[in-house]
Parts: sequence; C-alpha cells; structure tokens
Amino acid sequence: MPVQIPKDKWPGQVRVATIGATEADGGTRTSVITVGGEKALPFMHFEAEMPYRPVIALEIKDRKPDDWSPLLLETWGEAMDAPGAWAKAAEAAGADMLQLSLSLTGVDGEPNTPDKAVTAVQSVLNSSGLPLAVFGPGQKEADNELLVPVAEATKGERIALGICEDKNYRTIVATAMANDHLVTARAPMDVNLSKQLNILITDMGLPLERIIMDPTTGALGYGIEYGYSVMERLRLAALQGDTMTQLPMIVTPGFEAWKAKESKVGTGVPAAWGDWLERAINWETLTAVALLESGADILVLRHPESVRRVRMAIEELMEAEELRLATGN
Amino acid sequence: MTAHRVKFDVIAEPVQVVTGTLLTEAAHEAGIDIAQPCGGQGRCGRCALQVVGGSESRSSVRSRSTLRLSPEDVAQGYVLACQAVVEGDVSIHVPPQEALERRLTTDRTVAEVQVPAGYDPAIDQTIRRVALTLTPPSMDDQTDDWSRLQTALRQETGIGELQVSLSLLRKIGPVLREGEWEVTAVLNLESRGQKVEGLQSPISNLQSAKLIDLQPGHIPADAPLWGAAIDIGTTTVSVWLVDLLTGEVVQQAAEYNRQIRRGEDVISRIIFASKNNGREEMRRLVLESINGLLERVVKRASSEWRVVDDQQLATNNQPPATNNQPPATNNQPPATNNQPPATNNIVKATIAGNSTMMHLLLGIPAESIRLSPFVTAVNHIPPLTAREVELAIHPEAAVDCLPGVASYVGADITAGALSSGLDDSEQVSLFMDIGTNGETVLGSHDWLVTCACSAGPAFEGAGVEHGMRATRGAIEEVWINSDTYEPTIRVIGDAAPKGFCGSGLISLLAEMFVTGVIDKGGNFNTSLPTTRIRKGAHGLEYVVVWANEGVNRDIAITHVDVDNLLRAKAAIYAGFTVLADAVGVPLETVERVLIGGAFGKYINVEKAVEIGLLPDMPWENFHFLGNTAVLGAYYALLDEKQRARIADIASRMTYIELSADNSFFEAFTSALFLPHTDMSLFPSVAGS
Amino acid sequence: MALSGIQIYKMLPKTNCKECGFPTCLAFAMKLAAKQVELSACPHVSEESKAQLAESSAPPVRLVTLKSNGYQAAAGNEVVLFRHEKKFFHMPGLFIRVKDDLTSEQIKAKLAPAEAYEVDYVGLELTLDGFAVESVTGDAAAFATAVQAVNAVSHRPLILMSSDPDVIAAGLAAADCEIPLICAADGDNWEAMAGLAKEHKAALVVNGRTLDELADLTEKIKATGVEDLVLNPIGDNLSQRLALSTQIRRLALKKNFRALGYPLFVAPMDGEDIAYQSILAAQGIAKYGGFVVIDYFAPELAYPLLVLRQNIYTDPQKPIQVQPGLYEINDPTPESPVLVTTNFSITYFSVANEVDGSGLPAWLLVTEAEGMSVLTAWAAGKFDAERIAKDVKRFNVADKVANKRIVLPGHTAVLSGELEEELPGWEIKVGPREAVDIPAFMKQVLA
Repeated sequence: MPVQIPKDKWPGQVRVATIGATEADGGTRTSVITVGGEKALPFMHFEAEMPYRPVIALEIKDRKPDDWSPLLLETWGEAMDAPGAWAKAAEAAGADMLQLSLSLTGVDGEPNTPDKAVTAVQSVLNSSGLPLAVFGPGQKEADNELLVPVAEATKGERIALGICEDKNYRTIVATAMANDHLVTARAPMDVNLSKQLNILITDMGLPLERIIMDPTTGALGYGIEYGYSVMERLRLAALQGDTMTQLPMIVTPGFEAWKAKESKVGTGVPAAWGDWLERAINWETLTAVALLESGADILVLRHPESVRRVRMAIEELMEAEELRLATGN
Repeated sequence: MTAHRVKFDVIAEPVQVVTGTLLTEAAHEAGIDIAQPCGGQGRCGRCALQVVGGSESRSSVRSRSTLRLSPEDVAQGYVLACQAVVEGDVSIHVPPQEALERRLTTDRTVAEVQVPAGYDPAIDQTIRRVALTLTPPSMDDQTDDWSRLQTALRQETGIGELQVSLSLLRKIGPVLREGEWEVTAVLNLESRGQKVEGLQSPISNLQSAKLIDLQPGHIPADAPLWGAAIDIGTTTVSVWLVDLLTGEVVQQAAEYNRQIRRGEDVISRIIFASKNNGREEMRRLVLESINGLLERVVKRASSEWRVVDDQQLATNNQPPATNNQPPATNNQPPATNNQPPATNNIVKATIAGNSTMMHLLLGIPAESIRLSPFVTAVNHIPPLTAREVELAIHPEAAVDCLPGVASYVGADITAGALSSGLDDSEQVSLFMDIGTNGETVLGSHDWLVTCACSAGPAFEGAGVEHGMRATRGAIEEVWINSDTYEPTIRVIGDAAPKGFCGSGLISLLAEMFVTGVIDKGGNFNTSLPTTRIRKGAHGLEYVVVWANEGVNRDIAITHVDVDNLLRAKAAIYAGFTVLADAVGVPLETVERVLIGGAFGKYINVEKAVEIGLLPDMPWENFHFLGNTAVLGAYYALLDEKQRARIADIASRMTYIELSADNSFFEAFTSALFLPHTDMSLFPSVAGS
Repeated sequence: MALSGIQIYKMLPKTNCKECGFPTCLAFAMKLAAKQVELSACPHVSEESKAQLAESSAPPVRLVTLKSNGYQAAAGNEVVLFRHEKKFFHMPGLFIRVKDDLTSEQIKAKLAPAEAYEVDYVGLELTLDGFAVESVTGDAAAFATAVQAVNAVSHRPLILMSSDPDVIAAGLAAADCEIPLICAADGDNWEAMAGLAKEHKAALVVNGRTLDELADLTEKIKATGVEDLVLNPIGDNLSQRLALSTQIRRLALKKNFRALGYPLFVAPMDGEDIAYQSILAAQGIAKYGGFVVIDYFAPELAYPLLVLRQNIYTDPQKPIQVQPGLYEINDPTPESPVLVTTNFSITYFSVANEVDGSGLPAWLLVTEAEGMSVLTAWAAGKFDAERIAKDVKRFNVADKVANKRIVLPGHTAVLSGELEEELPGWEIKVGPREAVDIPAFMKQVLA
C-alpha cells in the first residue's frame, strides 16, 4: 500500500553560529565549532539536511569546586587543581568544546578578581586548542566585573560569554560586541522570555549570529519536561519563520543532572535507585539525549563517560538517509 | 537657488524662502511658532497646515509624508509642515490648534449620548405617571381611601391589582385630602418578583402594578419623571440623571469608588468585607459614592433648572437636598409641582456593576466569588426598592440591579454587550472593557463568550504614582521630541496639569517606547542626554512636568508605573487573544473592536496599538464607546425590551475561566513586552 | 480533523437548556472540543450531528490495552505530536525481555527483582509494566515452558515474541494473561498470526521495514477482524527509528491515515551495550513509543527510565509547579532570614534567582499554593496566614533558624497581622512587591 509521506517544508531556518577563531581568523584555536543551520526538526534528515552536528562541551572550572559530586572529583582527580590541566583532560575525554565556569570565590574563600579570572582563562586557552565558552559566577556585579576583562584579554578568540539574563545583559553584550565574542542568553524556561531577551540583545546591535540561546533546562526528574517542551516550541517557532528564535541552543544537562540528588549522592538513598555511578551517568546521559532530540545544538556535560554515550547517540542520529517508504528505497 | 513667496494667512507680510525650505522653517521666518511636539518627525500630526488654492498652488508644496492625515485632509490641501518642502509660491492657512486636534485621524472620540431612536415612554417605560380624579367620599359612599384609589386607577388604566408598601399606605389618606381628591400616582408596571410580558401592549391590559408614589394634585404631563442609570466600577462610579419621559440624559457625574481606600481590586475588597464589620463598611462606602454623585447630578441639573424655570425658583427655594431619611414624599411642593430635579423625585434606578460590586452594594457575602470554584451568591437579582438598598432617592423607587454571568463577569459587561450592540450583529465583534477587571466579550447575535483578566486600575488613572481620573487637569496626551526628549502635553479643560489619566498614560507609554526612553522590556535608558530620566524615590522615572510648570511637584512616570501599565495592557491583550483562541476564531476575522472604559472622551488608537494594548488592525475597525456599562444601564432604565435583552445576554453568554490552563499565562508573558514578543502581530509598529 | 468549539456549537441544539451540566451550549461545545466530556451528555442533539461529531472524535491513534490479572498496559489515543500542544495521554508500557534458551530457574532469577521493583518518585510508586518472552530456540515446548516460568514470577501483561505461529500458539496456550501482545506478524505469517490474535483476543504487533509494508499489513489484518494492532517499524539505528516513528505519528494525526493509526512498538536490540539500550529506550519514551521493551533490568536504569516517562507524560497544561519545601540559598545559617513565596515555578525562579544573585544567604519557604503565583494564590485563598503557618510547621522551619524572621511578599502585606497571630514568637516582615527589589531589601532591611 503506497503511503504518501508528508514532508514538512518550513519557511524558517536556524542561524549558523561559530564559536572559536583559528589563527587564520585572528584567534588561537586549533578547532572551532559551528552549530545551527537546521531547516527541519532535529534529525529529520529526510526533510532537510542537518548541516552541523550537535556539539558536546565539557564544563570545567577555574578551581576545584566545593560542591561537585565525589564521583566527578574522582574522575577528574588532580586535573581539577589547575584550569589548564583540566582543560587538557577534558579535551582528551572527547569534548568538542570547553565551557569554563568562573567561581565567585577562590579556594581560599577570597572573592575572585579580574586578574585571577583572566589568568584562568588564558591558562585554558594555552592548554587546549578547543573553542571556549566562559560563564561568570552568576551574580550580576561579579559577572560584569570578571567577564569584561576576560573579554578584553581574549579579544578575537570568539569566546561565548555567559550568562546574559534579562536583568543583566547590557555589560556582557557590550563587551562581546567590542571584543568580537559571542554571548549566551539564558531565560528561565519560557519561550517568550527567551525571545524577549534575544530581542533586547539584538536591539543593542549584536548580530543574531553571535547569540546562542540557553532556554534553561531541568534535569531528569527535576523539570526536564518544561525545558524539553520550551526547546521544542522555540525550534518550531524558528522553523515557522520567527527570526528572534532562530538561534542555536546551548543547554547544560551536566550542571542540572549533577545537581540532582540521584547523581550527587551515593549514600542514604533508596536501594531502588541502584548503582550510584551507573545511575549518575544515566541521569546525565538521558537528560542530554532527551534535550538532543528536542533541539539542543550544544550540550554541556560533566562526566567523560556521559560524553562517550551522548556522542554515540549523536553519531547514530546523524546517520542521514532517506526515509524508507517502500522496500528497496 | 530660486526664491519663493510664502504667505501665511495669520501674518500680513509674505516671506521669501529658497526651494526645499520646510514649511516649518518658512513659518518660523514669518514669526509663527508652529507646534512640533514630536520634534519635526512627522509622527504627531500637530503641525498640519492647509495649502490654499487649487492644484497649481498645491504643487508648490511637496509632502514627504502624510502620516496622520486622513485622505479627506489631504484632499483639502492639508500637509504636515515638518514634512512639507516649498517648491513654489504658495498661500498657507494656519488653522487654530483646537481645530487641528479634531483632525488627528487616530483619535477615537466617544459619541454623544443619543436618546434611543423611537423611544416611547408610553410603550417602553415601566414607570408610569397617572393623573387621577377620585370621587370624594360621602355618607352614601364610605368606601375606604385605598379602595377608592384602586377603583379610580382601574377606571383610568384597567389595572386590577395594585401593590403598595406600608409606609406609602400611611400617606394615602392625607395626600388624597391635600389634593382634594386630585392626585398623581407613579406606578411601576413591573410587579415584584415577576416580569411583565409584552409591555408593547396597552397599559389597560395589565393586571397588576406597584404604587411607588402618590402626590397631591395633577402633575403636568410634560413635567419630568426622574430616573438614574448607575455603574459601579471597581475604580470609578458613574451616575446619569435621566428624564424617563423624554429619555434625555440631563446630567452625568463620576468619581472614584470610595471603597478604593479598602483595596484597589475586587479581591482585596472581598477579603476586607469578609472580616469584622467589613461588609457593612464596604456597603456604606459605595453608597456614599453613589449618593454623593446623585446629589451632584441633581444639584447641577437643579441650577440649570432654575435658570430655565423662574416660577420653580420662586416656589422651591430649598436646595435640592439628598434625602437619607425615608420617607419624605410629603415635603414636595404641592399642586403646582412640576417635578424639579431632586433625589427624592428619582423613582427608578438601574444599576450595572461587576458581580463583586453588586454583592457589596447589597451587603451580600461575596467570599465565594474569590474562592474556587468561584460562584456568586446571585447573578439575577430580583427587583428591589431604594429603601432596602438605602439609595438616597425616593424610598419606594424601583431599583433594578442588572444581571451578571459569573463571578468575574458581571452586569457591567452584560450591559456593555448590549450598549455596544455586540449581541445584535451578524459580524463577529470583540468588546472590551478597559478597566480594572479587563473583561472581554467576543461574539455575535449567534454566540457570546467572555472572560475576565485582572488588569488593575492603571488605565483608570489609579494605582499609578501621578494618576488621576479623566477630569480637568488630567494630561490626556503626551508627545516626546525624539531629539531632545522634551515632552509636550495636552491637558483636559485647558488647566494646569495635575496628573495622568488613562489615555494620557497610554500616550506617554507609547511615546517613551517610540523615542527610546524605555526599551521593549519597559526599562528606562539611563544613557540618554536628558535630565528628565532620573532616579526618584521609587527607582528610575521620567519627569513629564516640572514642579514650576504645574502643581508644585514634579509629575513623573516611574519604573513601577511602567511595569503596572505593561502588566495591565498585557493582561487585556492576553485576555482577548486567549478568548479568540478558545473558541477557534482567528483575531483577524474579527470585524469590529468595541472599546469601553473610563478613558474620558477619547482614546488614541495608534498609541494603544503601539504599546500592544489593542490588536494591530485598521483603525476604522475600532469604535470607542466610553462607559458602556452605564450606557447599557441607561438603555435598560428606559426600555423594558432592552432590559430583557440584557437578561438574555446574561443567560447565553459563555464564561471562559482563564485560569483553567496555561494559555492565559503564556499569552500574558508574550504580551508583556512593547508592543509584543511576537512582532509579526504588529506589522504597523514594526514597520514604523 | 478536530473541530473547534464554535464548529461543534453550530451542530448543537443551541437551547442553553443546561441539562448537560454546563451553563450554555457553547460551554458544552468547548468541553467537547477539548475532549473533556462525552457527546451523550446532550439529550437533545440530532442524529445527524451525532454522526458528524462521532466521525471527528474518533481517535487518530487506536487505543490498545493489554490486560492481565488486574494489571493493564494501554497505549494510543494520542492526539498531538508535541506534548505542549495538549498532552501525551498514555504512558508507554515498559517491558523486560527474557529468551527461552534460559532455564526456568534462570528466568525466575532474572525476572523476580524486576517484578518486585518499585521506586518512589515524588510520592508516586513506579513499577515496570510486564515482560516479554522471546523464542530463540524456535521450539514451541521450550517457549511454553519459558512463558510458564515468567508466569510463575509475574501476573503482569505479556508480550510473546516469535515469528513462528506455532510457537506463538504454544505460548498463548501457556500464558496466564487475558490480552497479551503477540509479536509479530510479518508479510509471511500474517494470516496465521491474525488468526491467533483473533482466537485468543490478543493484540498483535505488525513488523515492517517500510511504511508501505506496515500499512499494507495492517489493512489486510484489519480486514480479518483484528483491530488491536501495534506497529513495529524496524529501524537499524536511532536515526531511522526516530524518522519512522515520527512519520507514523504525523500521518496518523495530520492526515488521519488510519492504516498507520496504531501505537508503536519499541523493540530491544541484540548485542549492543547497556548504555546504548538506555538511550534507545529513552528515545522510545520521548518519541511516540507505546510499548517499550528493554533487554536488561537494573534499578539504576529502570529508575531513570521510569522518571523520564513520568516527566514526558505530565500534563503541560497544569501550572508549572515546584515542590513545596524549605529551600537553601547561598548556604543559610540559623541567623539567615526566611523568605516565603508560592510553588508556581516562575514565581519560585524569579525569587530564588534574585536571592541567589544577592549573594546573601537565606531560607526560601515555598508553600503549597497549587502552582499559583503569589497574587493569584492569595486571591484564590491558597496563600493566606493559615496556610503559610501550616507549611512553616510542616517543613520544620523553626528547627532550622535561631532568628525567627519571616518575610512576606509585598503584595500580601495585608496578611502580616494574621500571620503574627498564627506564628507567635516570629517577627513578620513585609518584603518588596517585586522580586527584582529583593537584593536591595535584603541588604538594607535584613542585614
């Protein structure tokens, strides 16, 4: 029985964004990542080519974090003591990109300073050729104080600076514009708020090609469905031609999943949760895979084994071939 | 460069200018100061001038833009001086400013109240005044006074059964004798608890009526018969004084609902009313508001009345006092009584108002309105008398509380649906009441759906730092110069500015947005070169009037005000979009947008669209109706058929609960931006 | 095609008689459009309208329910491609597979922990739905023995997997299950399989590598009177499976293509690593699976899959809520203030973000307000002094703080008096109206 396949023809397309600049382009990266360009829903290869595959980033910090799961501390070991070493280890673990989170305070408890932040970023850049995203500590004053000198010291590297939010975007956007970087724009799991932030940022003059949007996600069990649906809706809007949603999406399943008790804690939990390490990896991986299928372009993870598994999923999902209508085609 | 001669009609001598000179510059040369509130950007239309003469003369002026001018204006030779360049000799008429304002194509002014065509009190009105002459009693005829009165009435009208209150019964004997058996009876044909069907039929076919008033002597048939149409808004209370015989609205007055001091929104009021003696206090407060307004309309009518009627002035030199002590019919002047406007002469009141207001007026517990599943105590209130309601009018007066639909869609909306003509049209129309509760009705003669969204009182000028009602001294329009960020204002009543009314706030928000004083998210841009954007007691603000220009204090709009206005406009926009969505009617298929609300006399549609309060539609689709609730109450006051129509509307209107799912919240967040997160919904704003 | 409220209204009697339990015909029509009420509730609808409305209300994806000893696993009746459009209705059943080359003892040992498995997630007790038995020996007797071994451990619904009708027949005879699922019919065996499904009132999986093949088979099988079908589009990798599943759901919903209007079967793959199995199952759950079979039971895998299923199938139309409780922000101490707000997620996020951004430590008490924002909850009586006090006690706030200060949202200043009465010994402070002003408030007033 011949089946007529309706192929969705979308009027819109996601913009293409490139993070990182090689020497030829005025930076020092040995590789860059390019994401976006989708003309159809994720992995619907039979409708339109998906020009760039989703990218995996690993999150590293400028110092050994106080609040990460022991499983992660064990995995990364001594590499965590120096951002450069951690960056090298992350590259070796198979990341396409690095996401450096700056801390609010140093190991000594003293507030982070612009100098220290710049040193950390430079040591990451010197140790790895991967493209980089740098996120501030997530507090308005500290973010602005640290990110501006970082942006200036790394002019031309096409770093993704984050995190722009509706209450704090002007300074970060201005410095990104002045120093040839990109920004990530985060809104709290709401299609409209994401869009509004993108509009406010472009109204400042930053081209859309230099904005990666972060729709915010929850981990499995902690609101993943909201982020999942918001991403589906953002992508649908983009394909339907809504310019202000036609941006690649970055999500942080590593951060979200490892915040969950299921991943973070190994003792005093129900027996029905099973083996800690495997559970934690599943938590991060399944969170990431669900978001991958709802439109993520950049997935920021924390554990090397999750990188391996998510990469496996991406490889298979990118196997493009015509949809089989009938035997033989 | 060729020089041209430009002659302005208000200046004797022509000026010489070179080709390409703007008309504004030529005017300046001639010593005329043409107002350019928008800074000469062709946005405001305030600099319109008329080119005198035929097509040859017209071709001497080239218009770069005619935005803001209607095709008729253009046909009559109007140009925008800031957008028109001189290319030949020309004569120019400078119209007076007041005339100019009329030309602005985007203003929608409320129509004057018209007595409904074909209004016939002998058919439509439930209140009748009948002059009776009774046979005096004698030793042969010892029939009691009441029976005698009934008999006379039956003989005169055919009404067999007459109801009366005890207090009126007490007065019958004295009045009959005072009038020497000539009396005038005022009847309510709508007897208690049951509707009179088919008032179109002659009065003689009626079985029963209620006696409302009995006065000695024969009142002239053309003397007025007073009624009142009342709307109790959450924020504003309005009262119209009406002559039930002519149908004419003699006076109108409005003021803030005195309950505001106990809370700005219905929820606060319900909660207040539920505690201690709150319910009684709420009832007292709204009665004070209504009774104060009744006194005001009567007073104003009365002062006109005296001018008109000297004789009246001679016989009745008492001030037309309100009367809180019932009953007082016998303090009326005797036989020559030609019914001056007095609260005590008001024999019928029709009241519109949202369900909460209606409950609070009547002292009915309103708690269930705010608690799930949100039910009222009563939607269809039976006929009442002024005595029981404690309205300060004739104590026997009929008080008709119009029916509501649901907790958050009350009689103000059913009345509004009627007066807007929404329920009577084949076209799908959208009716919105831009007030505190932001009710919207969508539909046609076939079906009606409604919803309510809490918009807050911002558009009524309340809950805003320098807000006020649309009365004298209110800033009703603002233009901001996009180079200097200096504002120009228009004030109601040609007075010193005191604050902003709703239309002024809409206008101001739009201008701040268009000129970049605020961004699309409503945040002030602190980097602009103006001292008017400053940090005030409540955060950032924009000063519209300096203290030395107005009322000894700076009049500013604060960040909090902007947020309030954004939320108010977002709630209203979200309300009607969700409503349209819920029934599956695309907004673009709506043919008329009927706007009610307490905006004063006009609304600038362009600016309301610019901020995303109204949908982006051709301006001619919008009809501004003013206070539709009191207008509906007025129609119901006059005509029993209209009253029946409201009841019909109330019973078939389908209420949509917006909190049932996420769609309202989604739409609200989406609209919480200037003009809207989805710019494709506002092509005219995006394009400008 | 689904009809809008107005379209349905036009077919109703428009009497507003209220006998259906709704105030107007239009209100009823809108409930019908939302599929929240049955047309039979209207006593006056014409036969003609009934017929028209029945056509439009037929589910585009057939509901298939497996039943066994009081357990059931249902899939289908779905109406949307994306959960945000309405919701996904029937969570896919999760099944664990065993093969008949294991001994009965091995089967019991493997399945007993899966059968007993139960895990708590936000107060819900989640379990697996049943088991699949696959014939690898090709021997009917061995298959029947394996089925019996499974039944010795579990009474849950069964999936019987073999391409040989004789083997399936033996399994059906042995199975203790009212409506099992036969897996699977294909181009060669479909007649025999359809006969078995009909005879045993079983549901039947239809295998096909292409959409044409699947549609062809379902039409043929349906003609024999078997209607409870489940589609198994065979894909070699995640990409193919995703494309086929998406297209089947699209055709069913958007084109009302009945031949593919059935729930989907997500088969396990042989010889892949455990990690891959978990990803495959996760994709099946998110992307339209109706019956998902995994080859491997371990709590550390079952738990995340069950949670994922729960998450994807929550009703997105319900207000987004966060768990009520006492949240710690910036490592609060007993001296830190207690801020109170409601459990509407956006409210929670805006408050928590501001507090977090202030850098100052605080306790955030999130009260049970049925997912409403502060003002809405207050208006609806879900956020009052009594409820706040109740949650202060429920979450043992007094044990966490030495300094008993609680900060109310500014919009509900009116509650402060009553809250003082409800919480003797506490200092009640009124915070700012807007979350954005919280950092300043914390620095100036609470410091």
